[in-house]
Amino acid sequence: MNENSTIRLESLKKTYKLGAVDVPALREISFEVFKGEFVSIMGPSGCGKSTLMNMIGCLDKPSSGKIILDKIDTENLNDNELAIVRNRKIGFVFQMFNLLPRLTALENIELPMIYAGKNKIDREKASSQILEAVNLKDRATHYPREMSGGQMQRVAIARALINHPALLLADEPTGNLDSKSSVEILKILQNLNNNGMTIILVTHEPDIASYTKRKIILKDGNLVEDQTLEQVKIQ
Amino acid sequence: MKIIENVIMALKALGSNKVRTFLTMLGVIIGVFAVIVLVSMGEGAKAYIHASISSFGEGTNYLEVRAWQEGEGPFGTLSMLDSKLTYKDAIAIKEKSKYLKYIDPRIIRKGEVGYGRITHKIPFVFGVSPDYVYVFTHAVKDGRFFSEADIAEQKKVMVLGPTVAQKLFGGLSPVGERIKLKGYFFTVIGVFTKKGTMVGFDYDDIVAIPITAAEELYNTDSVIEMGMSAIKEDDIEKLKAEVENILLIRHGKKDFRVDTQEESLDLLNGILGILTGVVGGIAAISLLVGSIGIMNIMLVSVTERTREIGIRKAIGAKRNDIFTQFVVEATVISFIGGTIGIVLGIIASLTIMYFLNLPLTVSVWSVFLACTVSVIIGIFSGVYPAIRAGNLNPVEALRYE
Repeated sequence: MNENSTIRLESLKKTYKLGAVDVPALREISFEVFKGEFVSIMGPSGCGKSTLMNMIGCLDKPSSGKIILDKIDTENLNDNELAIVRNRKIGFVFQMFNLLPRLTALENIELPMIYAGKNKIDREKASSQILEAVNLKDRATHYPREMSGGQMQRVAIARALINHPALLLADEPTGNLDSKSSVEILKILQNLNNNGMTIILVTHEPDIASYTKRKIILKDGNLVEDQTLEQVKIQ
Repeated sequence: MKIIENVIMALKALGSNKVRTFLTMLGVIIGVFAVIVLVSMGEGAKAYIHASISSFGEGTNYLEVRAWQEGEGPFGTLSMLDSKLTYKDAIAIKEKSKYLKYIDPRIIRKGEVGYGRITHKIPFVFGVSPDYVYVFTHAVKDGRFFSEADIAEQKKVMVLGPTVAQKLFGGLSPVGERIKLKGYFFTVIGVFTKKGTMVGFDYDDIVAIPITAAEELYNTDSVIEMGMSAIKEDDIEKLKAEVENILLIRHGKKDFRVDTQEESLDLLNGILGILTGVVGGIAAISLLVGSIGIMNIMLVSVTERTREIGIRKAIGAKRNDIFTQFVVEATVISFIGGTIGIVLGIIASLTIMYFLNLPLTVSVWSVFLACTVSVIIGIFSGVYPAIRAGNLNPVEALRYE
């Protein structure tokens, strides 16, 4: 196995049971993402993006196949161990921001550290540092309802990064943003990637995918295309 | 995750919906409040009765004989109305007993006394013998108490309690005046000193007449009870055995019971204890209702916060973290509610007792019990909703709108 592998999927399958009928969501997906890559997963609605995203994010378990995340085989992990993996190895950025409305920006950012068992002093230090990095220092004590979409998403990115994950998973991160904020967020992601962060971005917009370095396209639960930006350009 | 963090988190969550949190707490507040007030009142009444009983009478050198039947409760009321104890029994005991010092058989009735145009209802007309003043430690301050001669001659004489004297004669001395009772005139020969109230009865609002006069007046020979004291206090148990023997021979069966002061107190304690328990138990039902309220609200809260639970799980909360979060929330609600209930309960108990002139006691065990119970209730009512929260599937929870 490659030392630089961040995530490796081997013949991943996911089938949902709908009554007596088996509905395949992912048929057989295999690919590998290496350290420092910026990958977009694309495809129309219903292609299995979200399902794949949930597998990679260890929120759901595959019906068969393997996921090796940062050298950890997640196949035999129980719920608690998966929670730990999500906490330490993955940073989530959602379309709906998914900040807790009752917590301030700073408290939202600290939350993964609380679940990691870090003490208050460490948490406050790290969260204010990272808030500065996403340029929201003046919003530290604001609640989500007091922030714009772009600001909320930056808080969400800060929260995703606070535990220094191996992989940042962004699910349609610009889906609820105007174009100016979208560009802002994509720039931040690009910047993070330039500093070595591995990012997987799920989107259905080619424009947004063009900010990434590698495109994986799904269709009906199959992987139909996997190209780096260089390859795309050559074509 | 530390418990302190959980408590802070719970306080924040509860603070975000203050009205609902307060209403949820109200169930526990009322429950704890009711338990403490009612139990404290019960204990207060007990303490009060103890205090008054030990300040009255002869203390531990005291026996009481009451009518009683096999199978009846300790304070058999049926037997009391149909008592087979008589003044003759008292005389017999006095003649035969080696240990007896004083015996005080009592015929007790309600009545109304009249002087001129003034009438006054009195709760107790005592038909008693000269020993009454010794056994009941009820001294006469003005005039005298009746003598054996008054008894023997069935004299229509009367000793008044100070309240009665005050009602009928104001400040003037009633000695020598004639008072009407049940159509007969009684001559007042004395006035009792003030004795105060005991167990809610005003012992200054009584009149005493010779027991023989009472037998005639009420056309009865049965006495309700007899109080006794021994020559030596240490012989009280021997006196008890002796009295039981004498009465058993005279009556041929055990239609009476003899209790020492201690036994009387035990009986009273037993009854009051049961009463307090029953009342406290009823109050405890409201605690149970309060806990159901908490569980209900926690279930609603879990559903409402499904998305929050999904988010927390996505960023690394374990099942246990979520479980703890909800249990702690429920516990914090009921703990705060319990604390408020305890404070209000103590204040209310003390206020009520102050106005009822009861000794100021707060039942410590009821406070501890209420405290423990309210925390246990919180944990108990939080567990089921918390299990539901902890078991939520993160993918579905995140999708929840």
